[in-house]
Order: sequence, then C-alpha cells, then structure tokens
Amino acid sequence: MIATLFLLGVGTIPAATSEARLLVAAESADRVYDLAFDGSDLSVREVIDVGYQATEIEGPHGLTVSPDGKHWFVSIAHGKPNGILYKYDAETHDLLGEAELGLFPATMQISPDTGLLYCVNFDLHGDMTPSTVSVVDVEGMVEIEQVVTGSMPHGSRLSPDGSRHFSCAMMSDELIELDAVTLEVVRRLELTDGTGRRAGGGHGPDAEAGAQAGAGGAPQHAAVAKPTWVQPHPTKPVAYVALNGVHQVLEVDLEKWKITRRFPTGRAPYNLEVTPDGTRLVVTYKGAQAVGVIDLKTGKELARIPTSRPIPHGVVVTADSRYAFVTCEDRGAAPGAVDAIDLETLRRVSSVDVGLQAGGIALFPATQRPVAPSRR
Amino acid sequence: MHRLLRRPAALHLRAASLIALLLAGAFAPAAAAQEEEAAPTRTLVVEPAELVLEIGQSAELSATLRDAAGDPVEGPVMFFSRSRKSLTVDREGKVSAIKPGTFEIVVRERRRRSGENQASRVGLGERLSVTVPVTVKLPDLALLEIGANPSTAVWTGTTIQLAAEGTDVNGADRAVTPTWSTRPAAVATIDNLGEVTVHAAGSFEVTAEAEGKLATMTLTAAANPITRLVVEADNTAPKTGDVVHLRVDAFNAAGEIITDVPVEVTFRARTDDDLGPGASGQIEAVEGTARAWRFVAEQPGRYTFVASSGNAAGRLGAVATARDVAGKFTLVGHGRVDDTHTSDLWVWEGLDGRDYAVTGTWGANGDAHFWDVTDPANIERISTVTIDARTVNDVKVSADGRICVLSREGASDRKNGIVLVDVMDPRNPKILSGFDDSLTGGVHNVFIDGDKVYALSASARYDSIDISDPGSPQRVGTYKVERPNPSIHDVWVEDGLAYSSNWSDGVHIVDVGNGMAGGSPDNPVKISSYAYPSGWNHAAFPFRQQETGKFYVAAGDEAFPYGLNTEGKPTYPRGWIHFIDFSDLESPRECARYQVPEAGTHNLWIEDDVMYVAYYNAGLRAVDVSGELMGDVYQQGREIAWFLPDDPEGHIPNAPMAWGPQPHKGHIFFSDWNSGLWAVKLER
Repeated sequence: MIATLFLLGVGTIPAATSEARLLVAAESADRVYDLAFDGSDLSVREVIDVGYQATEIEGPHGLTVSPDGKHWFVSIAHGKPNGILYKYDAETHDLLGEAELGLFPATMQISPDTGLLYCVNFDLHGDMTPSTVSVVDVEGMVEIEQVVTGSMPHGSRLSPDGSRHFSCAMMSDELIELDAVTLEVVRRLELTDGTGRRAGGGHGPDAEAGAQAGAGGAPQHAAVAKPTWVQPHPTKPVAYVALNGVHQVLEVDLEKWKITRRFPTGRAPYNLEVTPDGTRLVVTYKGAQAVGVIDLKTGKELARIPTSRPIPHGVVVTADSRYAFVTCEDRGAAPGAVDAIDLETLRRVSSVDVGLQAGGIALFPATQRPVAPSRR
Repeated sequence: MHRLLRRPAALHLRAASLIALLLAGAFAPAAAAQEEEAAPTRTLVVEPAELVLEIGQSAELSATLRDAAGDPVEGPVMFFSRSRKSLTVDREGKVSAIKPGTFEIVVRERRRRSGENQASRVGLGERLSVTVPVTVKLPDLALLEIGANPSTAVWTGTTIQLAAEGTDVNGADRAVTPTWSTRPAAVATIDNLGEVTVHAAGSFEVTAEAEGKLATMTLTAAANPITRLVVEADNTAPKTGDVVHLRVDAFNAAGEIITDVPVEVTFRARTDDDLGPGASGQIEAVEGTARAWRFVAEQPGRYTFVASSGNAAGRLGAVATARDVAGKFTLVGHGRVDDTHTSDLWVWEGLDGRDYAVTGTWGANGDAHFWDVTDPANIERISTVTIDARTVNDVKVSADGRICVLSREGASDRKNGIVLVDVMDPRNPKILSGFDDSLTGGVHNVFIDGDKVYALSASARYDSIDISDPGSPQRVGTYKVERPNPSIHDVWVEDGLAYSSNWSDGVHIVDVGNGMAGGSPDNPVKISSYAYPSGWNHAAFPFRQQETGKFYVAAGDEAFPYGLNTEGKPTYPRGWIHFIDFSDLESPRECARYQVPEAGTHNLWIEDDVMYVAYYNAGLRAVDVSGELMGDVYQQGREIAWFLPDDPEGHIPNAPMAWGPQPHKGHIFFSDWNSGLWAVKLER
C-alpha cells in the first residue's frame, strides 16, 4: 500500500541540465547566498542579509524553495525565544512575510499535496524535552499547527506525494511519521545502532561529531544513534536515515515500518539525499570532511570524496542526478564553502567560499522530487 | 482508488466521506500517475462563502470540486484555520468560534499526483483554494454602567472624569465607546471623552449610550467653597532637570482648609530660549498624595505655577536656570581592533596590581583579547584566547581577578555554553573548563557574582552556575520569566539581586542571595518587575540615587529598525534609557528617559551619579543622574559630555558604534564594535 504513495509521485521527466541555482544559509553570518552553477563552476550571484536583531547571531538554518520556484523560505533559529520563518521573492529577494515558529526552527519542506510547509523545531537549547513540527500556510504566512514529535527533531522531509512527513528525533532516537493532512503523528520507529543498545542506556559520541570538542565537554545525553536526517526514496517505499552518533545510514521499509539495511559510513553522517533516479545516496560525513556516495543496490560506498572545508553539512542533488552540492561549515572565522560534486566522475569539480558556518541548502527550483527519470 | 474522474453525481466532501477520500486518494495505481496532466479547468465551490458566528457557535462548510461543465468531480480537499487559537476547523469542515474578530478558513484542494490539475507540476499558485472569511461577533452588550467617580460629590468650577463599563451577555467585561450627554446643560456639560465640567450648583443627569443600552447617573453639584489657593514649592530656583515638589492649600471664605474639592495645577512658561523652543517643562500629580504635584523644567526661564478650582486661583513663580554640568571627554588611549568587530569589555586590577582589560569579538574567530591598561595612554594587547565560537559576546572577570568567563555563540559543534579562563597571569591566560549543559543554543551574556556565574540560555532563562571548582562548573539554579514564550537578553547581579533584561517582559528583579525574599542562587525568587510597551529592553543597571535615596534601574533599549551594516558603512540603531523608580518595589514607576535623537543605546554603567552610556552611533555619553529624575533628561541639559570613537582605520572606518563602558580608576574604558578598546577621561 505504501508503495503506491511513492509511485504516485512519478510524473514528467525534466530535461537534464547542468546548470543550477541554489541557496545556502550562512548560519553564523546571518546571510543567505544565492549561487549559480554553470556546469563547471559555482559562483555567488547575490548575498542577502537576513534576521532582525542585528548584533546577535540569529542563525539562518533551513532553506527551501516553493515548488513553483517563485519564493524561497529561510528559518531563523534564534528568536525571543521562538524562531521565525521568512518568505522572500525569488527574483528580487524582497522580504514578503514572516511567521513565528517554535524553538530553533531548522529544516523544512513544502508538500506538493497540501501546499503547506513543515518545519522541525530543533530546540538546540539543551532541554531534552519533546519538541514540535510547525505547519505553515505559506500563502498567509501563518503557523496553523505545532505537532509534538520528539526530542530535537531534525531532517524534515516529505514523501514524494507530500502526504506524509518524516523527521528524526535526534535525542530520543526516533523516526517519526506525521500525516501531512490530519497533522497527527501516525507512527514512531525506535532507531538503534544495531547492537541492542537503546536510547537512554548508553553514551554515544558527541552529537554532530566532527567539530572540535567543547573546552569542558558536555554531559552525555541519552541518545545513542542520534539520527539527524531522513530522506524518503523517490519511487520506492523506503527511507534513509543518517545516524550521526553511530556512523551508519539506515534503510527503513516504510510498509513494514522496520529497519531493513544498515550502511556503515564515514564518521558522523549528517544530511543525505537520494539521487532523483533513485540509484544512489549522497551523505555528508560531518566528522570526516568528506561526502560518501553509496550505491543503493549493493549498499557499497562507491566513493568518499573530500570536501574543500571541514564539517560538511547539507546536500542537494540536481534533478538529473548528475551533481551534488554540499555545504561546509568550517570553524571560527574561516568561511563556509559550497562544493559541487560530479556524481559521474565522483570528483569535486568546483568550490566557492561563502559566509560563516554554511549549513542549509536548497536547489532552485527544488530538487524536483518526486519526478524520476527512467532508471539507469 | 482515486483518479481524476468525472462523476455524474455530486460529491460533497463532508463528514466521514472526506476521511475516506483522503485515504482512497493515497492508493491510486501507478498507471494513473502516468496520465497526461489535466487542464486546470476545475473549480472549487465552498458553501457558504462566508460565515458570521457567535462565540461558541459552530457551522459546517461544504466543498465541491466541479469540472468545466460545472459537474461535480471527486477529489480530496483539506480545511485549516489561519487563526487556530480564535477559530478552529476540523477535517470535515466544521468551524467553531472561540474569540471575536475577523478570521479566515482556507479550503484547499489536495493533490497526490504530480501534474494534477495545474499548469506547473507543483505550482502552489495553480492550486484550487478558497478562503472563507469568518466574522465572530462580539457578544451582545447586556449591561452598561457608569463607573462611580471616587468622589461622589461635585462642585462648581471643577471637572470630573467618568467612564462607562460594559458587560456582555456572557458576563465578561466589554470595552465600549459611549455617546455622552448631560441635562440640564446649564448645570453641567460633558465632552466625548466623559469629562464633566460643572457650571452651576444643582442636580444634573449624565447619560451614556452604547449599542442601544443606556446608563444614567444623577449627580448634585454644590457651590465651590474655595475662595483662596496657596501654592508652595520646595524650590523656586531650580536648575533644569531638578524636580520641584509643589503643594497646594485651599481655603474657604472663613479661612478654613478645604480638602475634598478638586484643584488643578498647571504652569505657564516664558523660557529664555528664543531659538524656537520645544517643550518647556513637565508637571504631574503625585499619585497617592493629596494636593501634591511635581514639576521639572527642561528649559531655563521663568515659570508660573497656577492652581485653580472654581473661581479661585493661586500662583507661584519660579526661575529655572541652566543646569550647567557640561564637561568633556579627553581621549587618553586606544587599543585598536581592526580585523573584526569588538563586543563587550571588562576592566580589572590584576593580582600583580596592574590593570587589565578583556574584550570579546563578534562574528569572527572566537577570540578574546587581553590588554594591559595600567597606563591608559599606552594600551597594550598582551594575549588572546581563542575558543570554538564565532562570537564571544560577553566577557566578565571575577572580583578576585582570577577567573574570566567567556560566552560562546556559533561553536562548530553547536554546543556553545561558557568557557572559564584562568587570568591570574593575563599575559598567559589558560582555559580551565567549559560548561554547556543545557546552554547549547548559545550564551549571549554572563555575569559573575562571587563563585556563581549567571549565564543566559535559549533566550528564555538564566542559569546560576557554581564555579567554586572552576575545573568543574555545576548548575545550581535557574530563573525563567513565568510567561508564555519568555525572552531574555541580559542579567546583572548586585547585592544578591539579579536584574535581568527581558525584551518585552521588561526588567525583572530577583533575589539570588540578598535574602530579602528568601532567595538564593539555587532558589531565585522574583521580587519585582516592570515592562514597557516597545519590548526593546536590552540592558539594566541598578543604582541608588545618592542625594534622594531613591532606587532606580536604568533600563536600556536595543533596536535596529534600519538594519545592521556589518561591513562598509555605519549603522543607525534606535532606543533610549528608561529610568524606572523601584523605590517602592511593589509599585515601580517609569519616571524619566534619556534619548539622544537619531541614535540607539547599548550597554551602560552608573557611578557617583554619572551615567556612562555606550550609545552606539552616538558614541560614549556621560549624563548627570543626580537628584530625583523626571521627564526628558536629554532635554534638561543633564548631558555632561560625549565622545565619538571615530577611527579611520577601524573595521568599518569612521563609524562609531560604542558597545559598553566601564569606569576604572578615574578613566572610562569602553569598547567600540568597529574600533576596539578606548580609554577617555571625563573632565568637568
């Protein structure tokens, strides 16, 4: 049954293109970068200052582009205390509207089914209590609901048809499915590392490992697997989940609602993307300064491609499955970067520096999921 | 199975059928997905097109998709409210009114198949959507009453203020704007704001009318017995900015004091300013004290206080002279930081008897710079500590000069928190420990009081952290404003009282060890608070006014209505200092402001009745805050001196952006966002 949900999404095949326009958020610079890729080089088209409390880092974190490409949205993580969603005109970058969300709103996506935007409220502030997913009417820029999910939800992604929303609860080790229409949590899946350790019973490595350890070392929290991202497959009833804490990617059967495969990865996988042709998985390894490309048929890592700067964060893939674009945060005053990776040659072909702590990334227009070309 | 099929029969998507359709639509066969896109020829009809409801009332919306021929077609829709706390709608279209107002329900066609009924594949603009306006009526007014004036007696030649109070059919208070009238008008008249003027003795009736309801009150005016008014002042030769206290005694023809008849006091001014003077002064009644007023002159000149009641009047003259406190800041030294922005500072005497300062950095490499400022004319940068952060917004040093605390934002591991640094030898500072438990979202400000650090977290609270073992800090307490979505920006601790600045929640005073409310670091107890409407409260500095003994908190704003330019050109913030009289903790009162035009405040410090304000683009300011405070301090000539930290080699050249001041051993040190650390001397 679930399979049909995914097949429904298959539609027209977009023309393959080597050109792309993308947006990148520099979280510690309160800036969004409008970038162009011409098939060989990345370049900065425009830089947009975002935020409202000028002398504080407000942290633009998540980005998404409306399906029609006319608007883009950025989540501002820090607020008073709640974060904000801003809506911009895609051509002029004029600010068109805003909506207050929850604590530390992060990643988000607009459903092709409902037209609503779903944004996880990551609540990075350390209170390990269940947080929420904000649901926003992007025409009126009104939050119409906040749905309680899990602790530190991240990786807000929708099924190809847009009827189901998936997010990971990083600090309660859960995959959570939300009905995008009724706005109710319909299923939860405990995510383990495969050894039997359960959330609450162990001490995993630092969340978002790969960054320099804090000077004093934080108390360990209960989570073991620390899932940070989920991405449904474009045509199959499966989803892939990055387990940041145990260096694995999971394949979850969405019909049986169980873990079916585990892929070992480089250190601290963080974000991931399935290529629109459904054959490969591109994973950022936050702790390995690299991006992994995994063959979904064999489960083997085809390549581990070094990124230009440390702490790779977000990843998107062009609709023709040819290029992946990856953000790199780096540290301190070092600029962030965006890398373009050729998924045919499995090499990094271009990089461009952007602002501090480059994280969120979105393709313009969107990755055009759920459209899938014919299989390779 | 859901396909884009024409159906002969109408299908209203209501009640349980909607749920069934929602589910059915999820299981279309793959073949359907390959169909050609349908032309966007359908319409969505929602009935009724608008709703008018009473509170508590419900109504149902029906939604029908129709094809180009007007025939109903099957298809799923969804309902949502754009004001869910005032108006709800369930998934079947049942709308329920909660609060009065005008709201919107959106009925939207869902689509679970790419290319379904749209020109572009998933173009939101092509989606069928209907917005239904819903008016939830105010409950009918059930009762209108005229609020009783505290004084039931009225006298000729005086005024009284009346107010109308409404109650709705649900028994709730209801704001009304009535039409007022009196009769006979020869005895009394009333204006449209409800203020009655009594012209003659006798009875008269006051009527208020609103929404078809009437309220009446009969009053009887007596002849005003006052024949003489005597105005006294505690100072008839004030300086501008001095608060003059006025007292009025009223007498009848027999020379007896009359206490129960209203008296008004105003003033007439003839200022010395012949250059187009603005406001000359300000007068107000002293709340809670009969026949008492306070006055402050903003301009030098001659003032006449006029008391009146009925036909009686009393006058008193006063001459205000210029405050004449002008001094100047003299530049002593400058420790330039030009590679990045500078944030806060702290100055202290080191264990070796020399004087040191530490400054943070903003949007950069996580540096904190240490300076030898023993000779303020030769400020020397002596060391730098770099932590994993982009902004070290706040820096504080313990009173014993041993521990420095750095706030951390933008850490690469997003754990942030605070970092403790051993500064017993500031030339060789050593990181001792970090603490980030539940401070991971970033710490913006900190304060050290004894062996406790107060650190902000989540923009919502501050934690008290025990650093008696600096290698192993431990949280011992937390204070959070008890309001939905509380927000905090800064905290300052003095005499065991914590003064937090909480944006729209204003200043909170909390016992964290003073003992007056039984509070302690692990059991913070709120004592008092005061909020002002702008919601810009960013900093707070408490001070007991030396001459009067009054206890004030100077609350500073921060606002950037015109944005922040991080590179290349200056920034133009806004905001001012609010003086809040907390002498009566039960009843704090905002009494004065200091506002430099076209500029915005940041941090401040008050010492010996002089306020030093880092006024961002207006530079460093010194202000005389001696004596009781009232009115517009800037206009009163209380400003002593100002200094613009122009630096042609600054990170943004020649763009003053004063961040925070601190007086130390006769000098005023301050940090500037664009140019680093400065030392000036105030000459009076």
